[in-house]
Amino acid sequence: MQIIENKSINEKVYVEKLDNGLVVMIMPKKTRKKYIAWSANYGSIDNKFYAPGDESITIVPDGIAHYLEHKLFEQRDGTNSLDTLCALGVDANAYTTNDHTAYLYECTENFEEALVEFMDYVQNPYFTDENVEKERGIIGQEIMMYDDYPEWALYMNAMKAMYKENEINIDVAGTKETIAEIDKEKLYKIYNTFYVPENMIMVLAGDFEPEVTLEKIKENVIMKKEEGLPKRIYNEEPKEIVQKYVEKQMDISMPCVLIGFKDNNLKDDKVKKDIAVEIIGSILLSKSSKTFEELYESGKIFSEPSIQYEFSKTFAHVMIQFQSHEVNDVIEKIEENLNCLKNHGILDEDFARAKKKLYGELVKSYSEVSNVASATIADYFKGISSFEYINEFKNIDKTYVENVLQELFIEENKVISVIKPLTNN
Amino acid sequence: MNRKIIELKSGIKAHFINTDKHKTDLTCIILTTPLKRENVTKNAIIPFLLRRGTEKLPNQYLINKEMENMYGAAFNLGIDKTGDNVVLKFYIETIANEYALYSEDILKMNIENILDIVFNPLKKDGMLKEEFLQIEKENLRKVINSKIDDKDSYAFERCISEMYKQEGFGLYKYGYIEDIDSLTIKDITEYYEWLVDNAKVDIFVSGKIDEDSLERLLLNNENIKKLNPREGYYIKNSQNIKSKDNIEEKEIFESMNVVQGKLVLGLNIGYEDENLQAIALVYNAILGDGANSMMFQNVREKAGLAYSSKSTFVKQKMNIFIRCGIQIDNYEKALNLIKVQLENIKNGEFTDEDIEVAKIYLISSIKNIEEEQDTEVVYYIGQELSGTNRSVEEYIERIQKVSKEDILALANEVTINTIYFLKN
Repeated sequence: MQIIENKSINEKVYVEKLDNGLVVMIMPKKTRKKYIAWSANYGSIDNKFYAPGDESITIVPDGIAHYLEHKLFEQRDGTNSLDTLCALGVDANAYTTNDHTAYLYECTENFEEALVEFMDYVQNPYFTDENVEKERGIIGQEIMMYDDYPEWALYMNAMKAMYKENEINIDVAGTKETIAEIDKEKLYKIYNTFYVPENMIMVLAGDFEPEVTLEKIKENVIMKKEEGLPKRIYNEEPKEIVQKYVEKQMDISMPCVLIGFKDNNLKDDKVKKDIAVEIIGSILLSKSSKTFEELYESGKIFSEPSIQYEFSKTFAHVMIQFQSHEVNDVIEKIEENLNCLKNHGILDEDFARAKKKLYGELVKSYSEVSNVASATIADYFKGISSFEYINEFKNIDKTYVENVLQELFIEENKVISVIKPLTNN
Repeated sequence: MNRKIIELKSGIKAHFINTDKHKTDLTCIILTTPLKRENVTKNAIIPFLLRRGTEKLPNQYLINKEMENMYGAAFNLGIDKTGDNVVLKFYIETIANEYALYSEDILKMNIENILDIVFNPLKKDGMLKEEFLQIEKENLRKVINSKIDDKDSYAFERCISEMYKQEGFGLYKYGYIEDIDSLTIKDITEYYEWLVDNAKVDIFVSGKIDEDSLERLLLNNENIKKLNPREGYYIKNSQNIKSKDNIEEKEIFESMNVVQGKLVLGLNIGYEDENLQAIALVYNAILGDGANSMMFQNVREKAGLAYSSKSTFVKQKMNIFIRCGIQIDNYEKALNLIKVQLENIKNGEFTDEDIEVAKIYLISSIKNIEEEQDTEVVYYIGQELSGTNRSVEEYIERIQKVSKEDILALANEVTINTIYFLKN
């Protein structure tokens, strides 16, 4: 196996590409926990594609990646692998994002017994009209649960305000209407097209001896090497945003706000930019910042605003989020200090402190096996190796961060999404 | 044994957890007192004021700068209700010293800062700072009002308050809006001083640590030196469980603007047994904890009525809470189906395999305790507050011992106390 080492955080990752094209990464860690996730590069944004050998395009209903995630646990003998795995005392689960779907379990014991069942269900789909139908009610309730989450409505509205065509504006779970169109044929089509070794990755973190574990994995591999990968079709996204402001009312106590900046420069080095956004966020919004102090002392803000650079291969944007009763005042203050930072540059002292903080956060992010593995998967499908963050972090300088500040936080790319408490009429 | 407990003074304990499994060190100071209606709001505002400044770092922005310089230390505080007590928790998580870029002793800075924040707040003329009070009152008001934002936990909390109307456990841990206006800095300072003199104090340090030098560090710390020995009175978990005979089933409906309905059933366990907690855990796992439970299999998987369908055991008060999110017009259907599950378990309609699966499920989560720093601290606080001192191994043994007869005996003593439904 190839070994990639990072001495500054004291971590090693063992990497092997199997004969069928599947990449396996194993990160041994000092814990009794064992965590494994097997993920396909297929998420909610992948709704149009040419399957290998097909001449016509396939268009699938919104929410199908997530529906497939729910259904893959079904076994031919009528059992459900989630139940079987949990009965072994392992904590099994799955999740779907905009660009990938992951199946996983975590345990301290019975890893090998569970591995057999785990690799069996991921490689053997069993969809029937009946079992597909049964899930519609459950997923319907999951969608309704999300309908009552203010943070989710805030995010989806921001995506719809920012993107006219890009598939990130589709809800991962779909809607009651779109999931009504999902049937077993469509699920098989998706599975056969995207759940192929070269479009997947398996990541393990925890109490492992890499070579031994790799052999166990090889023993359970059934998937064959596929000829060709699907060609995904994504909509062409205009540079412009759709609307500057979007608002919704829900039964909540305080308005939630998201300020988004759409990033059209998709070719830039995303790791570097992500680090730069973290540093800007720390200087502009953290609990030691001028913005926070001014807003806190005037009673306009209570918790620290968050900042995140979210990106995949097809989109990128910054999201700043906060809660306040004085929405406009807070937005104005953030913008005022953002402009101040743009015009006067970053202080050396602030830059050094932000970097120190970020370093600590990077170290901490390697503590928990589930975080390490899920971050590795997310990065892999974005074309990144997770260790790049540690390496890039060392090289990043103030001038680069100031450039990002100038280029990314632009008025014409800005959207504001607000969820307000209900007004009683 | 990787754990060492030292009584620094009467009522004040240090708990050292020596582990090399993490990249971080975690310190946590816990103040425990009985929960009372007249104190609950005052108690809740204390952490808000303490984080505003210490004698050494006289405002929160300086505290936060210090945390950033400690490689982005995570400083946080929390209020928890455990049974009839309220605990104030203050914690700082830092990266382990071996990752320091300039060989600082980060753990020492961590411990000194957390002690300062809790025991050496900024004062003026012997009082906590009045100028902070107005904003913190408003902040507390926002926190109390925000309980409606998460509908699932709101419904859970509402069911508890209906069941325990006159008791500590029924109180809202952040207090009540109507108390806020009349709070004065004098009341709060007096209450704070009472708390510092009387609360049970537990100090946890977890990481790759040297217990002896930490013990010296604590004993020589000015803040610790100032503390008086105390009784450290609190209500032991499951000590205050009143007789639950002849309670009539209540049905409570509440309306909000929601898409999904939230159904919560509060169950009583009216029964005594030396190993009751372990039996109740196994019972609860069969009923509604995990993918193989009746709630998951029958209410979610077979009937398709819910996505989230589970039950939670609250050991401090010996209650089980069944919780699910359902379509509002499915209320009767879901409630009847849940009642059928309770009857079935009473009638012994579960197999030895179900018991085995429940035990494996519970034991595997217990084995995880030592693998997570915060979970381990929470576990040992729970042990401390129960007055038991069970190791993880002993806890597992108790689960192993539970028999089908034990579960049946318990099942037949389970009654529905309150049915709460949040609808539109």
